[in-house]
Amino acid sequence: MDARNQILERLRKLLGRPDLRFPPPETEPLRPGEHLAITQAQGDRWELAQRFLAELRALHGDGELVETPAEARLAAIARLTAWVEEERAIRHTEPDTSMPGERDVLSWAPQELPVEGLAPALEDLGFRLVVPQDLHRPDERDTLRPIRAGLTGVDAAFASTGSMLLGSGPGRSRVASLTPYRHLALVPLSRLYPNVETWLREQREAGTLEAVLRQGSQTVLVTGPSKSADIEGNLTLGVHGPKLVYAILFDDIHALIQEG
Amino acid sequence: MPVDIHAPFPERVQQALADPHLHTAIHRAMERMAVARTRALAATDAATMRAQMRRMKAHVLRHLPQYLETLERNLEDNGAVVHWARDAQEARTLIREIALQNGVQTAVKSKSMVTEEIHLNEALEEVGIRVVETDLGEYIIQLAGEPPSHIVAPVIHRRLEDISQIFQEKLGAGPTYDPGEMTSIARAQLRQDFFQADMGISGVNFAIAETGTVCIVTNEGNGRMVTSLPPIYVAVMGIEKIVPTVEDAFLQLQALCRSATGQAFSVYFSMTSGPRRPEHPDGPEQFHVVLLDNGRTQMLERGYGEALMCVRCGACLNVCPVYAQIGGHAYGSTYSGPIGAVITPAMASDLRETRELPHASSLCGACREACPVQIDLPRLLLDLRAELAHRGLEPRPEAWGIRAFMETMRSRARYEQAGKLARVATRLLARLSGGTLRTLPPPLNGWTQYRDFPPFASKSFREWWQEREALRGRESD
Repeated sequence: MDARNQILERLRKLLGRPDLRFPPPETEPLRPGEHLAITQAQGDRWELAQRFLAELRALHGDGELVETPAEARLAAIARLTAWVEEERAIRHTEPDTSMPGERDVLSWAPQELPVEGLAPALEDLGFRLVVPQDLHRPDERDTLRPIRAGLTGVDAAFASTGSMLLGSGPGRSRVASLTPYRHLALVPLSRLYPNVETWLREQREAGTLEAVLRQGSQTVLVTGPSKSADIEGNLTLGVHGPKLVYAILFDDIHALIQEG
Repeated sequence: MPVDIHAPFPERVQQALADPHLHTAIHRAMERMAVARTRALAATDAATMRAQMRRMKAHVLRHLPQYLETLERNLEDNGAVVHWARDAQEARTLIREIALQNGVQTAVKSKSMVTEEIHLNEALEEVGIRVVETDLGEYIIQLAGEPPSHIVAPVIHRRLEDISQIFQEKLGAGPTYDPGEMTSIARAQLRQDFFQADMGISGVNFAIAETGTVCIVTNEGNGRMVTSLPPIYVAVMGIEKIVPTVEDAFLQLQALCRSATGQAFSVYFSMTSGPRRPEHPDGPEQFHVVLLDNGRTQMLERGYGEALMCVRCGACLNVCPVYAQIGGHAYGSTYSGPIGAVITPAMASDLRETRELPHASSLCGACREACPVQIDLPRLLLDLRAELAHRGLEPRPEAWGIRAFMETMRSRARYEQAGKLARVATRLLARLSGGTLRTLPPPLNGWTQYRDFPPFASKSFREWWQEREALRGRESD
């Protein structure tokens, strides 16, 4: 008998034995909706946004809250520009001598970013948005490897823990939030939930939960910058993933209502 | 001097106890982890969380064959290749085959206890494949040529000073005690490997049956690299590591993180549902999942199934007074601490090889209190001791000792005689060495090697009570 059937057969036989010490004969599964909400957050969307930022900052991340998508666009440009300056300072070069590639941004495709007009505005300012098409092509790998800034949207964000859920798929590379030293995330308030359990309930009730996980080959929950405490408990940031995670939260709900 | 994990158990314990640096390292870490865990659990309804975890995990075990089939079907629908392995040998062979068929030269790994369990690295290195551990702690011990000493924190046994030394010797790093600098060195080194590797290998914290999703929990981001950059990704999981639903996955994730490191969530939680699809920019072309038995069904059969609910958070290690004294390497097994003392012999084909482990516990119960699934570890340890005794596998002197104790306790006369003898003998010996017993004669000298033995009181309780009653008269009448 092959390994699969032998293992399954043996398990079935064992579980059928009345004298088996564990597990008990009758067990109840947890039904969706029954699960404990392990963290909580209350308030309107502005209060949730503040809570999200407070949680993210406590984890050595950072961010800001602005009112409109237009302001989010300006905030993102300002942040990416400031990062170019900071990178120059790290390299100890003269502030006015630019390096080739210093304005490269590893990004999700423009249509996957939740702030309209951001991509062309950045291109106008000399930034180059690098959007991976096929990472298994060696030339693409070489291009994206040295890029120091990443730009993405989010599928959802959770206020009680400062977490962001990022799916992957066409136009949404995994690497944009992973290989650069700094990660800029655009978070519309329409996607901000009090906690993960609220999001789970909403998706379950809408019948979309399974699809969310199965569409993308990988979905990742990000809570703060990459870190380790392996060297005698000392906190170090940016071990493999980004050292800086910066979230720009903006109110798209008001805009949605006006459009609607 | 590090602990020689191939030495016999008593020697390993001696070596561990004799290493003052080991003590420093472990004590520093345990205090930190205990505080973090306590705080994290106080911030939520920990009792309900544990009760729900236990209910969910017991349910999975009860219906394990169905959940395994559901998981397999959904993984395959997602484009994964599912493999089954009865034992370590079978798992090693089939992973090696995948590597050889694809001409793999370098494999990058994310921290995984199950691949330690099956000794995968050696099997791949034998056929000339370079295997790189990428978790910072695992990377350090791979440089030092050591196995991990803790389920969650593999290099817990090393101080900052030791790690600095390893970086200097193995990587030619300058003399630095700055953990940030050491991390940068590792980041730069490993970044090369992530981009060059032809295969990524990880364990699995748990897999979601209803969606066919393999989940891994990391803080550094190496888990994301390993599952995203190489063209082949192999995930190895024990057959018990299943949760039925996505909601269950997030419950277990949070219970695990709070118990392991005191975090609400780990920095990264990667849920992989399949290989990259043609229109996706990145992700592996091949996604293999290995479902491993390796003694797990045997564990269930022999009555230790409760330990199959373990989520590998390491909380039981962090509160264990025995682990605090001897560290992980003294256990000599992949899994250390209270959970290791249970599952190592329970999964082993030959109980004799690890028969000391169920005794590496004072049965204080701290592990049961700390466990997020409330596994009754002390009871399982007692069950293992009982099994050892029934199968005549206890060391001889101990069997004699227990028999003598049993005979003594069965007769009042013998009990009183023994008490009298102990009182006289211990007080006599204590008087000779100035009040306390610093050494006992063999075979009892093991007890006094690291602590004193208090001499017995001059009178038994019965004698003292009778005298007291005589002095007080019959007041109650």
